[in-house]
Amino acid sequence: MTADLDAWFVEEILVHEGALRHYLARHWPNVDERADLRQEVYARVYQAAASELPRHPKAFLLTTARHLVVDRARRGKVVSIEPMGDLEPLHVLVDEVSPERWCGGRQVLRRLSDALDRLPDRCREVVWLRRVEELSQREVAQRMGITEKTVEKHIAKGMRLLADQFLGGDDAQPRARRDAGADHRDADDDARHAD
Amino acid sequence: MHATPTDAAAIETVAADWLARRDAGAWSDDDARALEAWLQAATAHRVAFLRLDAVWAESGRLQALGAGRDRTGVPPRAQAGLADLSMLTFAPRASARHRGRGRWAAAAFAACLALVAGGAWFVSAPVDPVDYHTPRGVTRTVTLADGSSTTLASNTALAVRLSRSERHLVLASGEAFFEAAKDPQRPFVVEAGDRRVVAIGTRFSVRREADALRVVVTEGTVRLEPADGDIRQPTTLLPAGSVATVRRDAVLVRSLSLAEVEELVDWRSGRLVFRDTALTDAVAEFNRFNTRQIVIADASVGALRIGGSFRWENAEGFVRLLERGFPVEAEYGREKIVLRAP
Repeated sequence: MTADLDAWFVEEILVHEGALRHYLARHWPNVDERADLRQEVYARVYQAAASELPRHPKAFLLTTARHLVVDRARRGKVVSIEPMGDLEPLHVLVDEVSPERWCGGRQVLRRLSDALDRLPDRCREVVWLRRVEELSQREVAQRMGITEKTVEKHIAKGMRLLADQFLGGDDAQPRARRDAGADHRDADDDARHAD
Repeated sequence: MHATPTDAAAIETVAADWLARRDAGAWSDDDARALEAWLQAATAHRVAFLRLDAVWAESGRLQALGAGRDRTGVPPRAQAGLADLSMLTFAPRASARHRGRGRWAAAAFAACLALVAGGAWFVSAPVDPVDYHTPRGVTRTVTLADGSSTTLASNTALAVRLSRSERHLVLASGEAFFEAAKDPQRPFVVEAGDRRVVAIGTRFSVRREADALRVVVTEGTVRLEPADGDIRQPTTLLPAGSVATVRRDAVLVRSLSLAEVEELVDWRSGRLVFRDTALTDAVAEFNRFNTRQIVIADASVGALRIGGSFRWENAEGFVRLLERGFPVEAEYGREKIVLRAP
């Protein structure tokens, strides 16, 4: 049961993290709180899915994000209503076969290799040896002349940074490109709504 | 309360610590129970864990960056994969724009080196050349000296040359499934006609037909590239789940589920699995494995589409089932079974 739900969450929800981050970036001005919101959204989606799987995972994810943002805004302590003027029509790609999906192949590998290259030096070296050369943590420690505990720490850090980079999609890109992407996406949304 | 700024970060840190510890290898039942308890404690824990776990699992694909390269430490940024990747293609046609840059220059340089070093290599290299052959109707699994194993399908010829620098196999005809033992020092290379498939620690099959080559990857990643270093041909990375078909210059790659690709190599356990397959194609599969051939006399019969799982030894049983379910009449001879429309 749990394993099924976990797999569903990974395959149907996490793949849309780029879209979720994009949504939060537009609707939540406080950068420091976005990671918390993201996690809260994930937790709510997971809990809801435990009783019934939503039929349109991506739309459900973004709707959940929207509800959370509205809840927080109503509580009024965190942020003023004003920056969220465009909350009403929720532009959601209902197309479930989206570009965010981790299709096999070159794009995934490119994103992974991009993410790998953004790791700090030592961390990158550890992850390379562990993931590309497939050495065990112990072997990595011997090769680099550091303790196994240090290797473990680098791995933990590498996991977090890789996840942020890999799942980030547009958000992980430099601002100029992100903005260009946002415009494009909106146009895309409108086109779909017109259909 | 949930959203103090450090909340998500703190949880994620704990999740990463768990995963890194599990990755370290010394993972006891107590550890597993403690982790399970932590995951149960809050949904926020579970989602943070799943997120890191999924990406870490996905990062196993990075192994492809090392396929076939000589392992001399960690390469500098961007040279590791990106330069290489820009040369890779997953599409039938290679993009012309990328050609002629660094990697090909390097390849040309390497080719020159190979010419120089070639003489010496041949003297010291091949350790124990072995040729394997299976007649029609027989499959055979052999374990190679390096711990790899290969299963030859019916009517297959495979030559194995293990050297200190490379494991080189030549598939002259038929189909073989490979379970390549991990050995970063020695690439596992299967040559088939004008292509070769490069793997390190992975499971895949290579099959030669009259005018096509098929590569099925069930685990890990392999690289499909021209055997003679012909730079006009694309190099293609095939992750698990890929089915690549090569016809002359075109490479077509389909991504299937792992269950589906396993079916394509199920002949190893004596089964042929079809899903909405034209009878012509299904019959061709049976004929690969049997001396008693099935012949389709009417085109309308060949166009029927069938599905199911069958033992390839039992061609007659397959035909009898066909007769029951489809407008097909069969004539059973010693050498062949002829199928006709009624």
